[in-house]
Amino acid sequence: MKKFNYQELVDSEQALQKRSIFWDPAIYEEELKQIFNRCWLFLGHESQLPQPGDFIRTYMGEDDVIVVRGKDKVIRAFLNACTHRGNKVCQAEGGNARSFTCSYHGWSFNTEGELARVPLEKEVYDNLHRERFGLVPVARLESYKGLLFGCFSESAPSLIDYLGDVAWYIDIVTDSAQGGIEVVGAPYKTEIPGNWKLPVENAIGDGYHVAWAHAGAMSVVGAIASGRSDEVLGINANNTGVDQNSAIEVVMNTHTALTTLGGQSGYALYDHPEPVLAHIEKNRPNVIEKLGELRGRQLYGAETHIGVFPNVQIIQGLNFIRIIHPKGPGKFEVWTYAICERDMPDATKEIIHDHVRQTFGPAGLLEGDDGDFVEAITHSAAGYATRQMQGFLGMGMGRKTPWDGPGEASPGLVNEACQRGFYDQWQRTMEADNTYEIIGQTAPIAPVTAVLKERRHG
Amino acid sequence: MANAELKLAPIAPVSFEQEYGIDKFLSMEARLLDEERYPEWLELLTEDIRYQIPVALNTYRRARQVSATLKPMFIIDDGFPGLKQRAAREATGLVWLNDPATQHLRIITNIEVETTDTPHEFLVRSKFMIFRGRRDKDIASHAGWREDILRQTPQGLRIARRVVHLIERVVMDKNLNMFF
Repeated sequence: MKKFNYQELVDSEQALQKRSIFWDPAIYEEELKQIFNRCWLFLGHESQLPQPGDFIRTYMGEDDVIVVRGKDKVIRAFLNACTHRGNKVCQAEGGNARSFTCSYHGWSFNTEGELARVPLEKEVYDNLHRERFGLVPVARLESYKGLLFGCFSESAPSLIDYLGDVAWYIDIVTDSAQGGIEVVGAPYKTEIPGNWKLPVENAIGDGYHVAWAHAGAMSVVGAIASGRSDEVLGINANNTGVDQNSAIEVVMNTHTALTTLGGQSGYALYDHPEPVLAHIEKNRPNVIEKLGELRGRQLYGAETHIGVFPNVQIIQGLNFIRIIHPKGPGKFEVWTYAICERDMPDATKEIIHDHVRQTFGPAGLLEGDDGDFVEAITHSAAGYATRQMQGFLGMGMGRKTPWDGPGEASPGLVNEACQRGFYDQWQRTMEADNTYEIIGQTAPIAPVTAVLKERRHG
Repeated sequence: MANAELKLAPIAPVSFEQEYGIDKFLSMEARLLDEERYPEWLELLTEDIRYQIPVALNTYRRARQVSATLKPMFIIDDGFPGLKQRAAREATGLVWLNDPATQHLRIITNIEVETTDTPHEFLVRSKFMIFRGRRDKDIASHAGWREDILRQTPQGLRIARRVVHLIERVVMDKNLNMFF
């Protein structure tokens, strides 16, 4: 028995989404359980945790999580909640720690999560079984080429199976860099009064809004403003036309990718991209050798928005990773990390950092526009009549284009294929009886972990 | 960074007249911004201005400089061209969230003036609250403090450097598309 009629909430055939999915607290509670407690969620990048004791704090859904490299150099993730009474054991956003100590009664946990010290233990406890009171670990933690993901489901498919075809696109970011990629600095963090799904599908697929919603920014930044070109990402100045042959939206099993191809399109919004493009062209032969012609020539250096369900976007060109943390049905935090190729010259990395800050930081020239309509879409659904309305994402439906990479491609950046893919995946995840159904597979019969669990309890 | 420069003992003497002039200059500057008079505001900046808003990282006191990965980050780190670009965006008439017009209100207070080693340049610290109201009841406010270098030029005072310290780590506003 499903808690809601998801076929009615998301009508895939007509590309309609009931607006209550942005507002209804009961649907939101179900999302925390069905999506955020079962999917693989992005935690961070290994480059943030080079030394034993290095840690970052993040969220999985609304769960506060510490990700820490232990003294044994292993990276683990724990719920940030004291096993005594539940207070947070860490209030900093990151750093290097020898232990995490609760500010309530002083219980202290080491970087491997073990309960290491209990004030007045001998005087006040008889036989405190400390080994039962370690920090609660996130059930699964895996790395895909340095990108750390966690999952609360013990029985979920492995990270690589969960990513599936989208790994082919992620590799363009992770494998192109000779020395890998790096995340430097802390993320930008902004709290926006809107539903978490709206910024996700905006970032993974909404090419339609770029020239209109960001019209002010587009006339002062990048290729058009600097006179290098009269179009950007295939869209003419002043939104007067669009080249639908120069970009594709790709829907895969579970995830999505949007790319404007061409090998350099990712730098259209840069005021001074020349040093970055020089690095890219210098590195391109290596990428072709490693990843082949299609990815090496067309995708490396292109504006490519990789959407990993549910809430992380890896965006090549703009060069950031963005996570959307839900904070109730009507609020989210957006975290933006700049990413660079580790072996880029420092001056080139600076250009990328400058650009991320200038465009999509909290004071970014483009970032400022999106929060406004995201808020309005969410909060206007407070009205009962408005809530009965449906959003329409029918653009480009049925249009297909040949594509040699994985996934099904639809032509053009101004297309709503990725957004439809996202809501279809939302529906499938909300309906899924088990974690394998989330990625369209059948669960293995009698999973080993279930048997082990039975034994443990028996 | 800023804390290391703080001196409890004031402050090389600055004339009342000079201090009064700086006080009035900052009030006038705030009013120009409140009234969205960006071209005139840009004229108050030196060509070599550096304007920064660091991210107020939420780290343990003892760990402030320890982690290699938590390097200082900036929400804005602009020279004159960057500030001009931001002002130009506001002036395009294409920023939909500013129409109906956004209301701005800045309160500048606790102004302290110090001389510096450079003649004609003053280190000026001030506290601010900035409110912006738009739409029916979309009101946001930000508070913090600023460290400016003001330069006395033949044309009058000009801002040669500004560091804006916000007290919020997670920005509690849809954007910070405003000048502090």
